[in-house]
Amino acid sequence: MNRRVCVAGVGWADGPKTPDLTAMGLQAQAFGRATADAGLTKSDIDGLASAGYGGMHEVQLAEYLGLTPHWLDSTSCGGSSFEFHALHAYRAIQAGDVDTVAIVYGNNELSTAGRSLGTGRSGGGGAAAMPYPMSFELTTGLTLVGAYAMAAQRHMHQYGTTAEQLASIAVQTREHAARNPHAMYRDLITVDDVLGSKLVADPLHKLDCCVVSDGGCALILTTEERARDLGRPLVYVRGAAAGMTHHSIQGMPDLTVTAGAVTGPKAFAEAGIGPSDVDTFQMYDSFTYTVLVCLEDLGFAPKGEGGAFAASGALRLGGALPTNTDGGGLSATHPGMRGLFLLCEATRQLRGEAGDSQVAGAEIAVAHGSGGWLSTMGTVVLGTEPV
Amino acid sequence: MSDETGVPSYLIPRISPEAAEFFAGTVRGELRVQRCASCGLHHHYPRMFCPHCGSDELTWVTASGRGTVHSFTVIRQQGIPMFKEQVPFVVALVDLDEPGARFIAQLPTVAPEHAVIDMRVQVRFRPASEDMAFVEFEPHE
Repeated sequence: MNRRVCVAGVGWADGPKTPDLTAMGLQAQAFGRATADAGLTKSDIDGLASAGYGGMHEVQLAEYLGLTPHWLDSTSCGGSSFEFHALHAYRAIQAGDVDTVAIVYGNNELSTAGRSLGTGRSGGGGAAAMPYPMSFELTTGLTLVGAYAMAAQRHMHQYGTTAEQLASIAVQTREHAARNPHAMYRDLITVDDVLGSKLVADPLHKLDCCVVSDGGCALILTTEERARDLGRPLVYVRGAAAGMTHHSIQGMPDLTVTAGAVTGPKAFAEAGIGPSDVDTFQMYDSFTYTVLVCLEDLGFAPKGEGGAFAASGALRLGGALPTNTDGGGLSATHPGMRGLFLLCEATRQLRGEAGDSQVAGAEIAVAHGSGGWLSTMGTVVLGTEPV
Repeated sequence: MSDETGVPSYLIPRISPEAAEFFAGTVRGELRVQRCASCGLHHHYPRMFCPHCGSDELTWVTASGRGTVHSFTVIRQQGIPMFKEQVPFVVALVDLDEPGARFIAQLPTVAPEHAVIDMRVQVRFRPASEDMAFVEFEPHE
């Protein structure tokens, strides 16, 4: 059996600020909206995937939602977990192990934790509670932002990438956020605004970093046959691949190359496309550098030329590669992990339901998630036609 | 807070068995790293298994303590007490002269504007408790 797989439904929870909702409540809201969008009821869902919390989270979520799925995926490898879920669900549906999988994420990061993302909150459990490798890193005072900053710094050194080029990514993403009523920040910004914002960890400024928000979303994958019956515009999974290179930044083999250099070409090959076929790119923009390095790794620009490509205006609506058309993590929403939002926005574009942010005639969309410290990468190619 | 060192106790990692020799070395002022007898490469953090070639034929050697900055950042925002009071400070990835071993460490005597990739550095140790010192680097030559 090798069945085709389609997106049945997508849904978004409230956001970007929801002080009255719990993380579980946001997940339930997103799930309910995705099933309604698909025209399904919860009894149609026989697979569930989620990530971002402790062990058995997806089991707890199933109970909360009143589901008894026979297929579960709790892969939790950072923000790209959801591209891994989509890959696993795609294969399992192809093979006939499961028919309809809901992938769900939601978190009230902003309302519970405040805006200290990636710069350390407190001693927490302390160094004694750290995973072994991290005990050699966190004792240096390095932050999450700092880890990405060291990678960006190396890229600048090797290839002459500039802070202005990185800033241009934030500027173009904000243009898209300005069109999204649910985005956290909507006022247009300039390269000078980015460079004039506080340096958090050189060379990354505050506006090179993603926002901290509340929010959630859900994506339902099913067979082509069932998707046809549901009557929503068909969006096919054409290819997917996932991989990793390291855990903490001290173990990254090359600070200027991610596992996207493997997962991108692999997913594109399965999908029967090349970089020039991609109409819109939904890219995990934890930081501007994450976008820049993956533009290169997925082949949208040669290695070392991601900065010039981005600064040319390629990422804006109407550009060569409209990227993060919902305003991204940099401006719209980032409740701790963003991987699932990429798949939902890609679907919205391919259905032609993106309103003011619609990429005209979009037929191929790529969602690429990054997790950890540029550690784990997952690429999913969606299209309006099967391979 | 351990009174002698100024390092808060919550920043003192547990000494795991595979890292015991490394931490013991830091107290003596020696930078101990593992070298693989099979492939000849070094590595850090300490393991039971060479991450380069997969061999378990590992021996401990005392490194020269000298290395080169592969990349760095200046931490300007940090929420954890001690570090919060220290900002801005430089953290670097340092490749030891012994091939294969990369350290992440502070360069506490390097002013942010003087940090550069490829600068030559030498190890120094900051006592953190009776049982360990933190590895730091300072400019060399």
